[in-house]
Amino acid sequence: MAGRPRNTNGRVNNGGAQLAEAHAMRSRAEHVTGAASSIARIAGEVFAGSEEQRRSLDEVLSGVNEMTASLGETAKQAESVSGSTEQVVSSMNELAASVEQIAGNTTSLATSVAETASSAEETTASIRNVTSLTQDMTTAAQQVTVSIAQLASSTKSIGRDTDSLATSVTETAAGIEEMSRSITGVADNASELASASEETSSAINEMAASIEEVGAMTESLSSAVEQNALAIEQMSRSIQSVAASGRKITDVATGAASNATQMDRSMQSVAALAKQGDEVTRRVAREAEDGGQSVQKSIQGMGRLRESMAESATVMREMGKRTNEISGIVDTINLIAERTNLLSLNASIEAARAGDAGRGFAVVAEEIRNLADRSAKATADIAAIIRALQEVAHEAVASANDGLRIADESNALAESGAAGLKKMMGGLAEVTTVVGHIARAADEQRTAAQAVVVAVNGTAEQARLVATSTAEQATTANSIVQSTGQMRKVAQEVMKAVAEQGRAARDIIKASQSTTRLAAQVRRASSEQASSAAQVTQATNAIRAGAATTARALAEQVTASEQIARSAGALNRTVTSVSQAMNEQATATAQVAASVNSMRRESEQAARALKEQSKAVHETSVAAQNTSKQMRLITHANREHSVVAARVLDQLRDIRAITERNARGVSETQGNTEDLLKMAEALVASLPGESTNGRSAAHGRTATNGRVGADGRAATNGRAGTNGTSGKNGSSGKNGR
Amino acid sequence: MTDGQQAADRFILFTVAGTTYAVHSHDVHHMEMIEEVTRVPNAPPFVDGVVFSRGHVIPVVNLRARFGFERVPHTLRTRLVVVQAAAGRIVGLIADEAREFVVLPAHAIQPPHDTLAGLSGRYLQGIASVGDRMILVLNLERVLDFGAIAAAGEPPVADAASA
Repeated sequence: MAGRPRNTNGRVNNGGAQLAEAHAMRSRAEHVTGAASSIARIAGEVFAGSEEQRRSLDEVLSGVNEMTASLGETAKQAESVSGSTEQVVSSMNELAASVEQIAGNTTSLATSVAETASSAEETTASIRNVTSLTQDMTTAAQQVTVSIAQLASSTKSIGRDTDSLATSVTETAAGIEEMSRSITGVADNASELASASEETSSAINEMAASIEEVGAMTESLSSAVEQNALAIEQMSRSIQSVAASGRKITDVATGAASNATQMDRSMQSVAALAKQGDEVTRRVAREAEDGGQSVQKSIQGMGRLRESMAESATVMREMGKRTNEISGIVDTINLIAERTNLLSLNASIEAARAGDAGRGFAVVAEEIRNLADRSAKATADIAAIIRALQEVAHEAVASANDGLRIADESNALAESGAAGLKKMMGGLAEVTTVVGHIARAADEQRTAAQAVVVAVNGTAEQARLVATSTAEQATTANSIVQSTGQMRKVAQEVMKAVAEQGRAARDIIKASQSTTRLAAQVRRASSEQASSAAQVTQATNAIRAGAATTARALAEQVTASEQIARSAGALNRTVTSVSQAMNEQATATAQVAASVNSMRRESEQAARALKEQSKAVHETSVAAQNTSKQMRLITHANREHSVVAARVLDQLRDIRAITERNARGVSETQGNTEDLLKMAEALVASLPGESTNGRSAAHGRTATNGRVGADGRAATNGRAGTNGTSGKNGSSGKNGR
Repeated sequence: MTDGQQAADRFILFTVAGTTYAVHSHDVHHMEMIEEVTRVPNAPPFVDGVVFSRGHVIPVVNLRARFGFERVPHTLRTRLVVVQAAAGRIVGLIADEAREFVVLPAHAIQPPHDTLAGLSGRYLQGIASVGDRMILVLNLERVLDFGAIAAAGEPPVADAASA
């Protein structure tokens, strides 16, 4: 009991430096607290930024959804266009040539999609980086958890030990061994504190590093968002050019429709003309046939005429012969008449010579003479008639001969005419057949042309619909571009906040380094104390009751340690869940990588298709028949557009999920920071108490070391030889100082 | 001549070169169709030759030649008028035709006009007109003047001497 005032004196000497160190440590701890709270604040800002980013991602998602829906609609319309163009294709085979034209058009789009794919790949790589970093961070967090648990347990055990020590010191005011033992425990605890502080520092370093990595990751995310935005802008431009192409196609299709209508009209007139020609030809053929029949009839009539002419010529010749016979008979009659006249004259002469006797005879002779004169006159008339008849018969025979000759000639002419007519009829039959073919072909052509008109009209209509939906697509793409711009801004803000977080983390690191230094100093002092305490231990060996108390205190300490272990296990579980979350992130990243790969493949396909589309748009001025194939290829491209948009949608959803996980990690970081803050506060709270305890204890210890040790030596020299060794140690410790 | 006066009202008509002549019927012996004329040497130009008729050889005078017309070939109507000339001589006259036996009243026959003097006037006894027909009545004695006929065979001076 007499040693106490000396102890107090010793406290003043040795405790002055320790007090200053404790003060400095407390201020550092407070600084750590402030820095941790600023980290919490910044983490809150980061969280808010992540929320905003998620909202903008939602907007982008909704925009991309709209675009996908519109693309689907476009695809549907384009499919119906394709259906209508199939008809056109069946009519117009030439359309096949324009496939390559549209292929060239889509090349530029393919390039842009390829750029999108490369940027998506970069995004995937960065997300992988983020995943690995997150895993590292998880490990670090686990380590932090462990170390913090250790820190907590040690701190608590220190507190409890110190409490129990204080209790035992107050209980056994004279039990210096116990106190010494307690000091040894304090020294151990101090060294544990130092190591825990170092571990804390390293853990904070790791946390800072992980925060920096998060910052770098955020930067790469920002650049990925930037590239995504650029790619989306390019896609928007390409969609606008597609819209322009769609308008041009609409114009071309409309022109083709009018051309097809004109073609249909001309084909109808051609068909009508062909039909008229067919009818005329048939009529001509009928008339030619009638003419052939009449020519045949006339040939037959000519033959009959010839026969009858020959007969009449024969009859005429016969009649001439008979007329000659009649003429001879008439001559004979004439002779007879002349002779009768002569005889009557002679009779008259005789009668006149006979005088009155011959008067009657004279009368008879005169009558006879009159009769003979009349018969002579009649025969003269007959002779004249016969002569005329003979002339007529001669002429008739000549005419009959002429008629016969002419009939022969006519017959020959008619037969050659009939042969020519036969030939002409054969030609006419061929002409009729050909004209019939032409008429049929013209009819079919007209039907086909009408089908073409219908199909081309449908194509024009569908092309207009496609142009309209493409314009809507362009509008949607513009809104997406705007949302992407907002996303870019948000990402930049997040990057800024993370940078601030990094700065704060660096401050924390600096503060924790100072803490570590101070802890090292404390450890040194504590080890000195320990060495002193060892001496004290020898001196306090005798104080068994204090040891028992200390044993009880240790038991209590064990209980406390178990509790601490439990809390550490809980912490570990939390960390495990974080790690799981990170693993999920990693899996999601792998999925992202896969979808990015497929997106690149789809992008390449889309690139090719869009290249083709681009070429098609450049050569839209080519014939309207090409439109159908262009439409088909546009359908194809639109489908791929849809697929690509779906992929972009998936990727964006993944990005959103990552952002949400980031937010979750940030919130967990916040929780951890709060824990750290709490612990730092506990440290701060414990430090002054411990330093008070330590101060008294240390002072006590130091005093004991300094003086009571000497007393103990003197007192215990008689009791135990072991104490003498500790007394030597204490003096060597003194010498060391 | 007196006989001629009594029977002067009956005549035979015949035509030569389109003109109708008349001879008194009692001067006509008979008529026949001319068949074959046998030409005789040194005959006058108006004598064609001789024919054999009813047992007699008679000379044939061609009246066309006698009247100074051209000769024509014989036809069915050509007649040989056999007349009994003065002194019982029978002569055949060739006329183009002779088919009528008519009775002419004496007042119908007028003497030839003075303007028809000369040779024609010597051969004509008169001119008769029956209806619209003009008939020249021949002076057969002068036509058949034997002297002239003989002169045809002999010198024509005898004919001039008998005239």
